[in-house]
Amino acid sequence: MPFSKLDTAAVARALSQVAERQDDVVDAFFERREEVELAPEGEPGALRVWREEGFAVRLAREGRTWLAARDAIEPKPFSEALRQVARVIPSAAYPEPALEMAPPEPVVAPELLDFPATVARAVRAQHVGFPLRIAVRRHRRWVQVVGPRLVAAAESETFYSCSAESSWGRYGALLPRLDSTAADQIAAAVVALFRARQAKPPAPFRGAAVLGPAAVAVLLHEAVAHALEADTLAQGGNPEAAVGVAMAASCLDVLDDPSAAPEGVRRTTDDEGTPVVRRWLLRGGVVEQPLADSLWARTSPVLLPGAGRRGTRHLPPGPRSSHLEILPGDAQEADLFAGSDEGLFLPEASRGALDPLSGEFLLHLPMARRFRRGALAGTVGPCVLRGRVADLLTRVVAVGSEARPAGAGWCAKGGQKLPVWATAPALRLERVEIAP
Amino acid sequence: MSQAPQLEEILRSLLRRHLTDAEVYVKRGRSRRLERTTVTELSSTSQERAWAVRAGNRRASFFAAGTGDLTSGVAWPEPVAGHALELPEPAEVPAWTTPSDFDTPLIGEREGLKLLESLGRQLETELPGARMLRAVLEDGSSEAELANSRGLQASTRSRIATLYAEAAEFGRSFASASLYVAAREPRRFHPTALARRLADRLAVTAVGAPPERDGGEFLLAPVVMAHLLAGLLPLFVGPGPGARLLGARGRFGSEHVTLIDNGRLPGGAFESPVDGEGVPTREVVLVEDGLFRQPLLAWWQEGAAEGEPSGCTRRAGWRDLPAPGPTHLYLMPEPRTAVASLLGSIAQGYYLIDVTGPGRFDLAADRFALPVCGFAVQSGRASAPVARAWLCGGIGAFLKGIAGVGRDLTFHPLDGMIGSPTVLATGLELSKGSG
Repeated sequence: MPFSKLDTAAVARALSQVAERQDDVVDAFFERREEVELAPEGEPGALRVWREEGFAVRLAREGRTWLAARDAIEPKPFSEALRQVARVIPSAAYPEPALEMAPPEPVVAPELLDFPATVARAVRAQHVGFPLRIAVRRHRRWVQVVGPRLVAAAESETFYSCSAESSWGRYGALLPRLDSTAADQIAAAVVALFRARQAKPPAPFRGAAVLGPAAVAVLLHEAVAHALEADTLAQGGNPEAAVGVAMAASCLDVLDDPSAAPEGVRRTTDDEGTPVVRRWLLRGGVVEQPLADSLWARTSPVLLPGAGRRGTRHLPPGPRSSHLEILPGDAQEADLFAGSDEGLFLPEASRGALDPLSGEFLLHLPMARRFRRGALAGTVGPCVLRGRVADLLTRVVAVGSEARPAGAGWCAKGGQKLPVWATAPALRLERVEIAP
Repeated sequence: MSQAPQLEEILRSLLRRHLTDAEVYVKRGRSRRLERTTVTELSSTSQERAWAVRAGNRRASFFAAGTGDLTSGVAWPEPVAGHALELPEPAEVPAWTTPSDFDTPLIGEREGLKLLESLGRQLETELPGARMLRAVLEDGSSEAELANSRGLQASTRSRIATLYAEAAEFGRSFASASLYVAAREPRRFHPTALARRLADRLAVTAVGAPPERDGGEFLLAPVVMAHLLAGLLPLFVGPGPGARLLGARGRFGSEHVTLIDNGRLPGGAFESPVDGEGVPTREVVLVEDGLFRQPLLAWWQEGAAEGEPSGCTRRAGWRDLPAPGPTHLYLMPEPRTAVASLLGSIAQGYYLIDVTGPGRFDLAADRFALPVCGFAVQSGRASAPVARAWLCGGIGAFLKGIAGVGRDLTFHPLDGMIGSPTVLATGLELSKGSG
């Protein structure tokens, strides 16, 4: 851990000078990041390395927040940042605590070098071959949060992102590990895009749709997680008013549990140093516990902190989901695809978008497959599933019996880009609208 | 204080590792961010101190970037075999005077929050029932220096402010709207004008409806035209397939179409004498009176397409690798044409005042679709509000169908700053769907 030599007690003492009132939230957020990327073949700067560290000091009081961030972990800038956020300047200068950091380790990432070739082999194993531009990146992050009274344990995250681009589209994924399973996942997705290259988008369709686990993860990230963030809820009124609202079909149980995320990104505390919780967002389709950080949790006794996340030290934390878990149901694969009417199987979603004010929701699908009487049939090209969240989630009629890690990706909201993870089964929805 | 000696020392240390081509870039910046929502207020300051190095030889290369001070003791990564690194040679930079507003201090906390508060108040005055949901003002300045192993040395400064606002109307029917603007400094943002723009959008969206499918003459507000130009950028940037798509040297648009990119544009948000690699910037005419002259070419693209290269390599931040793109790309205005006269000339058509979402541009199929809102126009007068509509058409037909250009050139932060005056166009369609 790079923070082992950080004098957290001295930082806490310095912060306590800024917290003048009992309800003040004051903290210091230290972070070190390292990203190493193997660029697509033929691009200059074949190996790319980004290393950064810095901190932010925050004071929050009665709905107002002051934040000062610096790109170096050094005593003098820390003392300056304290002075910037403090509302009262003391007669003496703020102390300059010892902020020694362990030196960064040399950049070694041999696992990146082999991965593009492993993906290419996995593609060939499916009896196809086409040019593929693969970029693969390792992300590492270390975080230490210090408050005036409590010092949370330092946290770290390591994961990978991969982007594979062919003439028929781009597939991007977040991966907890770079192994053969990851290579197979990338290969399957790009081969599916290749095989759907001449497929025409479907005509406007209203009927049954079966969403694969990856598409379910994107759908519920947008339609449940974002919709139940305390700051999103506050745009339409009081966030606590959402608790108890029947938002989805009764077969849907959705949780956010950062402590159950894949190894490497599992967390015990959030980016505010608060212990994370296994949070039931929806239990039986009913809203139980919206996502809240420490500031939103102070506005209502029904909101629990522990979901504060920050994409960068330069911005304050906000309530966000980390690892979404959709509990499996009892529908076997045959049940999901049953029925005499034609439906669409949506294995992957390239992106989703929610308008939090109107509740309108879009799920972009790079391709889909028709199904009828339990059997998969022809492939169709890119299409969009659209609807209003409140309406769409009530149309879930069956939940698959097997949940698996799927649908991890980047989530961008309010200028903060964060990795999000999910474990999901397949879902069947009835009477949904899908258009080209 | 110049850091040139330190940069030279780093270049020497890289050369000792047989990395014969190298570029060192250092940047220092500071910014203030002020944000107001319906229930919270944020004031934050950031100070940035960072560097980036590209180094390699004929066989291998790397890019490394980090925060803090750059010293020769940095442990460089091992270069990986791949494309050779190419760097520009030094070139004479035409005289340039640093604009005086580069030295103005960043906006203060109280002044910035007051500006946001005033924007909210003005909005409520313009449109009772409307409410500002979120407004974010960012103001920053920075200095950067770079040196490369070819002997090129350059230093740049920049100053930019942006404002993002999101509003909703909870009156007769629900509507929401947002805007994003940029200027060299925040004192150039006028709350009344911005509030009016948001109010117009909200009012139209709340009561407007899309036509089933209709044509006519289209008056496109600068922001609509800027989004269209941004969607067409692959046609103008680099020697790629885009430039060939519409018959590179043939007629590209009507005689009203003159497109320019200028990295030195006086008063421009990104005004600078050199680009992100230290190459001198200049005005480049891409399309003149409807005839395609040349695409925007970086120095290393010389010869790949007809035309003279220019300093057009952007470096969005220290984390980003330099990449070619427009800085201030704009459609030339016609100083004698007032917007009112363009509007008055419409017998039947639409005045589209804003874009309501991302557009779809299929350059290969020569088609585009852009979600818009505005008014139906009959005999030069607005007759009904229009919302949730898609402006659709063929790209070539649209550019050739531009029948008039106004004098109200304004720039919008899209992919670089993209500018346009109000434009009168024909041959387009407005419909309920994007298909």
